[in-house]
Amino acid sequence: MKSAIYYKSKKITLNVIIHLFLLSVAVTCIYPLLWMVVSSLKTQETIFSDLSLIPRQFHFENYLLAWKEGGFGKNFLNSIFYTVSVVGGIVIVATMAAYAFARLRFPGRNVLFIMFMAAMMIPIPGSFVALYVLLNKLHLRNTPLGYILCMINVGLSTSIFLLKTFFDKMPKELEDAARIDGCSKLGIWWHVALPLAKPVLAVVVVFNALNVWNEYILALIIFDSRKFMPLQVALQTFQGEFVTNYPLLMAGLTITALPIIVVYLLMQKYIVKGVTAGAVVG
Amino acid sequence: MKKNSCFRIFCLLASFIFLLNFSGCGTGPSDSSTITIWHWMTDRDASFQALAKQYEEQTGIKVDFELYAPSDAYSQKVRAAAQGSTLPDIFGILGEKRDFASFIKAGHILDLSSYMNESQGAWKNRFFKKALAVNEFSEQNSYGVTPGIYGVPIDIMTIQMVYNKDLLKKLGANPNKPPVNFDDFISLGTKIKENNLQGLVSGWGELWMVDCLANNYAFNIMGKDKVIATIKGEVPYTDPDWVKVFTLFQQMRESGILAEGIVTMVNKTAEQLFATGKAVFAFNGSWCVNVYKGMNPKLNYGAMLPPRAAQNYPVSIWGGAGSSFMVNARSAKKDAAIKFLKWLTDKEQQVYLADHTFNLPANKDSIGRIPEVMAQFADDVELSTHPNTWGVSEFPAVIETLDRGLQSIIIGEKTPQQVAAETQKVKEREMAKRR
Repeated sequence: MKSAIYYKSKKITLNVIIHLFLLSVAVTCIYPLLWMVVSSLKTQETIFSDLSLIPRQFHFENYLLAWKEGGFGKNFLNSIFYTVSVVGGIVIVATMAAYAFARLRFPGRNVLFIMFMAAMMIPIPGSFVALYVLLNKLHLRNTPLGYILCMINVGLSTSIFLLKTFFDKMPKELEDAARIDGCSKLGIWWHVALPLAKPVLAVVVVFNALNVWNEYILALIIFDSRKFMPLQVALQTFQGEFVTNYPLLMAGLTITALPIIVVYLLMQKYIVKGVTAGAVVG
Repeated sequence: MKKNSCFRIFCLLASFIFLLNFSGCGTGPSDSSTITIWHWMTDRDASFQALAKQYEEQTGIKVDFELYAPSDAYSQKVRAAAQGSTLPDIFGILGEKRDFASFIKAGHILDLSSYMNESQGAWKNRFFKKALAVNEFSEQNSYGVTPGIYGVPIDIMTIQMVYNKDLLKKLGANPNKPPVNFDDFISLGTKIKENNLQGLVSGWGELWMVDCLANNYAFNIMGKDKVIATIKGEVPYTDPDWVKVFTLFQQMRESGILAEGIVTMVNKTAEQLFATGKAVFAFNGSWCVNVYKGMNPKLNYGAMLPPRAAQNYPVSIWGGAGSSFMVNARSAKKDAAIKFLKWLTDKEQQVYLADHTFNLPANKDSIGRIPEVMAQFADDVELSTHPNTWGVSEFPAVIETLDRGLQSIIIGEKTPQQVAAETQKVKEREMAKRR
């Protein structure tokens, strides 16, 4: 019979291995972020000559310079506006569509759903020229509305897929009870389906917010006016064809990363629930 | 309760639709007198804006430089705009000459020949010949484009070698006389190893740079005509002269002159190694002046031609127009756009651009007023060549096989003869496909 010491030491060894592994993963994730913050406080010269993680001199003025030279003020507001509008649009349309796909019986339902899923397979860069020409014909090019509609379209298929998977598993008895209480289909969607789908909605919000916040190529193609550009485009100011202004770029990246980190932290507990509920796994 | 909830949903949807409609207010067409220019040159944007302001003060004509970076996204935008017929008055084309040709054939780019030749070629003559060549389509070009000049060079570039003067001195060599012959160059390999330094660094992981040096030596060993004949399929890659070119890379490996990991090195890493004084030589473009200045302003270095491997033909380097602007053939402001480009390529504006952006000016009269190392790069522009000016293009599959073969030689995986045979095999396959 194995002694208690054996089991204890086995447990400790296993724990040490697991923690060492997790620690190495954590370091791999955190190090690039740390390098970004540290580099944002160095000069262009010291980034290449002083490789230490604590700079000899802290250049906090890089943040002010990045904000001013990148014209971050207006672009920052634009990014917030696009993210809120697109995520709002996706949540409304995707929840309604997913609920309809899960609960309503109508002809062509499966074909329509497969078409939505097929849209997930088309990479967005492949549709740039087509989108440009379409928006141009609709007189929506160089307008925030055109960009927002495109971005809603980009995020819809994945979001509908996630939400439909959740609604499929939702007990029908809850809806029956709501119906007995006099709820319409829209009422059930609002009072029953949406509150229950909070964890999945958190996943949808965070994934799409990340996607919109980090997007810049479509914006660059659709917009001609700098005043409509999102924050990510402003970051390109520091990255030349051959020369990159690393301190300002890193300061700009730190500024850009902060809001999305805040969104993630706020939604963290729902995301964990959403993922464990099988939302992502499907 | 039911009514109340439906009302809330209605309000939510209505406010969202209102938000979308509100955000639909875009900008109308730009002012009819404004010249709009699209470009991708982030590092030159501030100087362009300053010059635009200066031009407006002088002429009253507003010039709007619109920056779209990075260059990949810029190219996509230009392609999309061409499809939608919304190209600006002036723009640049990135990519290969066949892309340039397709824009011309689609009627998007104005033929500038008549403007260039006005007043006994006053505009044309201010440029380095090689700078114009990239924008020129000659008689019987293989692209089927009407002969003419279709672009205005803003600056030029050459790809050469640079050497660290302090490190060369440390190795016991004359810091003002870098090696001129290939044998002298590779003989430094042993000393470099002994001093724990890196020899030659370059972005050969990006393939096109190793291709560039191989072409330089091909021109030096067999001359331009034989290189062109090879591209046309008249000379095989198994020709002894080509094997000689490939053997140079084997000799470089064996001598220890090449930096460790050069095969997978990206140019950014190579620039960092050279700027921080860890490497003696670098093979890089003239844009490096600006890069090294940012990384290490005190770096003591000079530019040199790749050391000669043969005496029969001169060493050719890749170069020509760095960046060029084209005029939209469908623009209503063609004449104003051309006037502005003439002004932008005047001596004063070219010196201003060189001083502020550290790019070599396209106007040859400006050379006397630029820093020494830039002048060293510019001096050799007449020795430059570029695949875009040859009138024929090699198959991409052949270029890739040749470049990957050179990498294999450098890591000692293949012999020059093997690479020559493999490249020729791909060449024959591609030619058979074309037939």
